[in-house]
Amino acid sequence: MSVEVEVNESDLAEMVEQVWESYLDPEGISPLIPTYDENQPSEVHSSVSITGSWSGHVVFASSLAAAQRAAAAFLAMELDEVSEDDISDTLGELANIVGGNVKAMLPSGAQLSLPQVVLAPESSARYPNATRISGVYGIWEEEPVSISMWHSSADHKEEGE
Amino acid sequence: MTLSQADFNFVSTLVRREASIVLAPGKEYLVEARLIPVARAVGAANVAEFLADLQRRPNPQHQRKIIDALTTNETSFFRDREPFSALTDVVLPELIKSRASVRKLRFWSAASSSGQEAFSLAITLQENLPAGWSYEIMGTDISTAMVERATKGEYSQVEVNRGLAATQLVQYFERAGAHWRVIPALRRNVTFKHMSLTAPFPPMQPFDVIFLRNVLIYFDVATKRQVLQNAAKILRPDGLLFLGAAETTIGIDDNYERVAAGRTSAYRTRNAVAAGAARRG
Amino acid sequence: MTPMRAMVIDDSRAMRMILKRIVTKLNFEAVEAGDGQEAMDRLAELTEVPELALIDWNMPNMNGLEFVTKVRADPRLREMTLVMVTTESEQSQIVRALAAGAHEYVIKPFTEGAMIEKLALLGLVPTGANS
Repeated sequence: MSVEVEVNESDLAEMVEQVWESYLDPEGISPLIPTYDENQPSEVHSSVSITGSWSGHVVFASSLAAAQRAAAAFLAMELDEVSEDDISDTLGELANIVGGNVKAMLPSGAQLSLPQVVLAPESSARYPNATRISGVYGIWEEEPVSISMWHSSADHKEEGE
Repeated sequence: MTLSQADFNFVSTLVRREASIVLAPGKEYLVEARLIPVARAVGAANVAEFLADLQRRPNPQHQRKIIDALTTNETSFFRDREPFSALTDVVLPELIKSRASVRKLRFWSAASSSGQEAFSLAITLQENLPAGWSYEIMGTDISTAMVERATKGEYSQVEVNRGLAATQLVQYFERAGAHWRVIPALRRNVTFKHMSLTAPFPPMQPFDVIFLRNVLIYFDVATKRQVLQNAAKILRPDGLLFLGAAETTIGIDDNYERVAAGRTSAYRTRNAVAAGAARRG
Repeated sequence: MTPMRAMVIDDSRAMRMILKRIVTKLNFEAVEAGDGQEAMDRLAELTEVPELALIDWNMPNMNGLEFVTKVRADPRLREMTLVMVTTESEQSQIVRALAAGAHEYVIKPFTEGAMIEKLALLGLVPTGANS
């Protein structure tokens, strides 16, 4: 069964909106405004991998400034109080939450990996045998943020770990 | 960016004319916040541009969107909880005695918005009525978009996180993609219809309980009075009207008397009205 | 009057911080753990059993479901109210957790208001504490 049927772009957009409503913009005054720009740049990214009944990744990518703001909002801190660990932890949890919600819509038996956080552009990441199948691309507080789903075309087994 | 006085007046006049809603001055920020998504949805750069356009070229669809955005109540399952506890603890036990010969109850969720109140009533009845009883819940709203949404009975994860016990979630809802949908067994007892409270009411069978919560606040006193009078006509003589936590009939319609209902209050028509007296206070 | 204690169990430090902030607002003293095993170890050390535990599902060493099962089997920990806080949201998962003895279930992402309402449902919020 193709995952596009199970998790379409509007489902992903809704999940992202709920993350904003819950943690990043509880007062509803600072939403993620869609740009639909798949090629917008990023400086940091986090991802979770899904294996089992489905293979792929969910990736959160943004500018460093957006990541700082996200950490400040998530952890209820002032921007200048945010540490690199705070940014890392927040990015990881954001990928985990969206990934977890995506997984909930996939056939039973899918598993989520621990999140990986990389303080480098998403374009530097390599997802072997995977294509980007869906994404939410936007601007939040004037900074680029994107959440995308990647599907691994060949089921490749995770060796070791 | 704040809404200009002229724009606020334009919107106020529109919603007053089309939906009898009175927007108090000082609510500019609220109006703006509610209209930002509407402006964005139609591709306008901002609310001011959206309204400027609308004033130049009237557009019934856009007007409808404004009304929908401003009449939509923030609602959640078992909102405020106390009226529902009152039903469970006090009202339903009494109705189970007084309606023992018919074993059927009719409830009305007026201004039902996205439907959570109506389904909360359904869950309450489902959990508290003895076997062999049936119930009907009518949900009405002025917004056709809301009636459609409530009819679907689908709620987001964030919405079902609020107000529902986890056991209620798994018992009365089933997953539908990213959403949770009310199960047919609950759904079949609830009907949603489009209705404007400020127009003459269509014929309706009388109700045992009416929830008219947090909607009168939008109306001026004369309209409030009219709505309450109309509601009294379709409330059973011993039926109860529940208003929002900060609302009262006192000072508006003395055909109602306030009665204690658990930890909250409800309103019952005075005997004069029940006896069909023509006198109106 | 001794404040109530809430144990926050999640392998995400960021999520623990959010949960700690919420329970502290409700006048709980917060205790944290990064997984089920760490939580059991902490519980063994504490002289007073926390009234509340907020528990993630997927954690290393001992996951949330295993933790709930262990707690419910321990007479000393009977009084703890157990609330799952997780992205696991399949119907069957929720049923499993409730069957294992969890008292409530919060799906991530959750708003602060929703979390406070859930705790109020469990009688753990002093009236007037929630805004």
